[in-house]
Amino acid sequence: MKSLSKLLIIAIILRLLVSGLMFHPDIKTIAFQTSFLKKGVINIYPYLINNRISLPLKEEFVYFPLTYFVIGGYQAIITPILGNNFNNWLTDAGANSVVNNPNIIRYLILLKLPLLFMDIFIAFLLLSFFKRKEDGEKAFTLWLFNPFTIILIYAFSNIDIYAVLLTVIAFLYIKREKLLTASVFLGLAIAFKLYPLLFVPFLFLKAKDIKEKVLSVVIPISIFLFTVIPFWSQAFVNSALLSGLSTRIFSPNFTIGFGESIILGLLLLSVLFVFAWMYEKNIRLFKYFVVLLLILFSFSHFHISWLLWIAPFLVILVVQKPTLSWPIFLWSVLAMSIPLFYADRAMTISLFRIYSTWYDLLPTPFLVIQKFYDPLGVQSMIHSVLAGLSIVISFNLLKHD
Amino acid sequence: MTNFTKFTIFTILFLLFVLPILMIVPIRMVPSGDQPGYGDMGRVSVYGLREFKQVFVSTDKNLVAIGTTIKNPNLKNKKDILFNLYEENNNLIRTTILNGFNIGDGDFVKIVFEPIIDSKDKKYYFTLSSPTAGEEEIIELFLIKPTNEVLEYTYDEETKFGGIPMVTFHKPEGLLKNTLTIFSNILSKL
Repeated sequence: MKSLSKLLIIAIILRLLVSGLMFHPDIKTIAFQTSFLKKGVINIYPYLINNRISLPLKEEFVYFPLTYFVIGGYQAIITPILGNNFNNWLTDAGANSVVNNPNIIRYLILLKLPLLFMDIFIAFLLLSFFKRKEDGEKAFTLWLFNPFTIILIYAFSNIDIYAVLLTVIAFLYIKREKLLTASVFLGLAIAFKLYPLLFVPFLFLKAKDIKEKVLSVVIPISIFLFTVIPFWSQAFVNSALLSGLSTRIFSPNFTIGFGESIILGLLLLSVLFVFAWMYEKNIRLFKYFVVLLLILFSFSHFHISWLLWIAPFLVILVVQKPTLSWPIFLWSVLAMSIPLFYADRAMTISLFRIYSTWYDLLPTPFLVIQKFYDPLGVQSMIHSVLAGLSIVISFNLLKHD
Repeated sequence: MTNFTKFTIFTILFLLFVLPILMIVPIRMVPSGDQPGYGDMGRVSVYGLREFKQVFVSTDKNLVAIGTTIKNPNLKNKKDILFNLYEENNNLIRTTILNGFNIGDGDFVKIVFEPIIDSKDKKYYFTLSSPTAGEEEIIELFLIKPTNEVLEYTYDEETKFGGIPMVTFHKPEGLLKNTLTIFSNILSKL
């Protein structure tokens, strides 16, 4: 226990360092948008659109209402600690003055502190996940000490962690055969981010009787609708509901003529669902959740923050099946490297702008590769290898049980 | 502590404290500061005999480039654009020829020349002209109020305070000095 405490302290120090020194502009945008809660704005979606002309930052709020209330509520609580100049920083639209602000490190650490709590919470959930104490400790350590989640959460200020935490809690209840409690947490997770909705059909399959089957679908969807219906408007639908997930999953397809096409992601998810339905007597949801996410990342142009969705499951998988350690490590490296080749400075060089704006003079990896080869071609090659690896890992998971 | 734990600690510390130093290495020139905003002082057109002259101070040594925003409306200027840099005593010290073909409308353009070693706190002026460009092939420069670098400009035989939103670039003094600059910048924000 003493060694775990020591590890925990080192883990927290590492996280605070990354929190303070790496800056992705999304955190400021989200903090600006959610700052309207303390000013009494309840429905942020039309507010941002209607006041776009007068606001210094023009982006729409792309997250669900629960995210607005949680992050906005937290900001309202810590406002006295943030100080009087915080609002000036939030409304500052200057690319350089934002990162040259003398308080930026303090702001970033304070704004990212909830992520740290969620992150540590997940570590303790993983610790309690396994029957064998050693396995729990291994998962705890692996979650705290892998470069992937540290970068995903703290460099990119990944607020998907709220949904990830709730999904992990839901999964713990699934493991204890408490499906209805799990569906409550899954519903809360969906209220933060849409992706856990994909798990619901499998929850339906897992349920024992008709009543449980109906409730396992009705509960999460009701919770989601309960949190979004009061804010339902064209602004909400356009800003938050038609998210990247739905558009990106349904994007890759191949034509079968006469205007029709087969949507690859949907095809594979359907195969997975029908396979589970037809061939599994006692469905183990864990492997289906993992395979589902592997399909998602293999056949869609994903955002780097999405990778956090699968991270706790991969940690569990590595502990359960040590033979998959290296393939999963390789998978993680490939998956993390794909977004780094996007033509977006915020994915790479701009993360270091707190150190100096001199880095603005450097080309992105996309531009560097462009001098020798087609960077989209490199991305495609890496993504293809990732997909290949995903297929083999999925096969391994589905085959052995 | 497992090997993977050590690997993680090493990776994160490398990312935070070594990579920023390595990223300095390819930087061949560093700006003296941020480019000033365009302001609302209007624009001037450069073509034919309409030349633009700017007086400025180099706030650091090893002056190696001047960067500013240039408009090339409808990308019509495909002619030579001459840049002449003078010392305060009218000595022509550097000449660079650009071509409008390579300048987009509103591009930030860096005019690079051989380094001037002892440039710190010295006054210089430069001229920008596009003598073979006609009225339809203008390039445009934004105007701003004077700053500590931008002093005065001459256009159409009239001299006024202020000039273009320019930033000077300087050859780095070395990896160690730049590393110190970057980390002292971090320390100043703690």
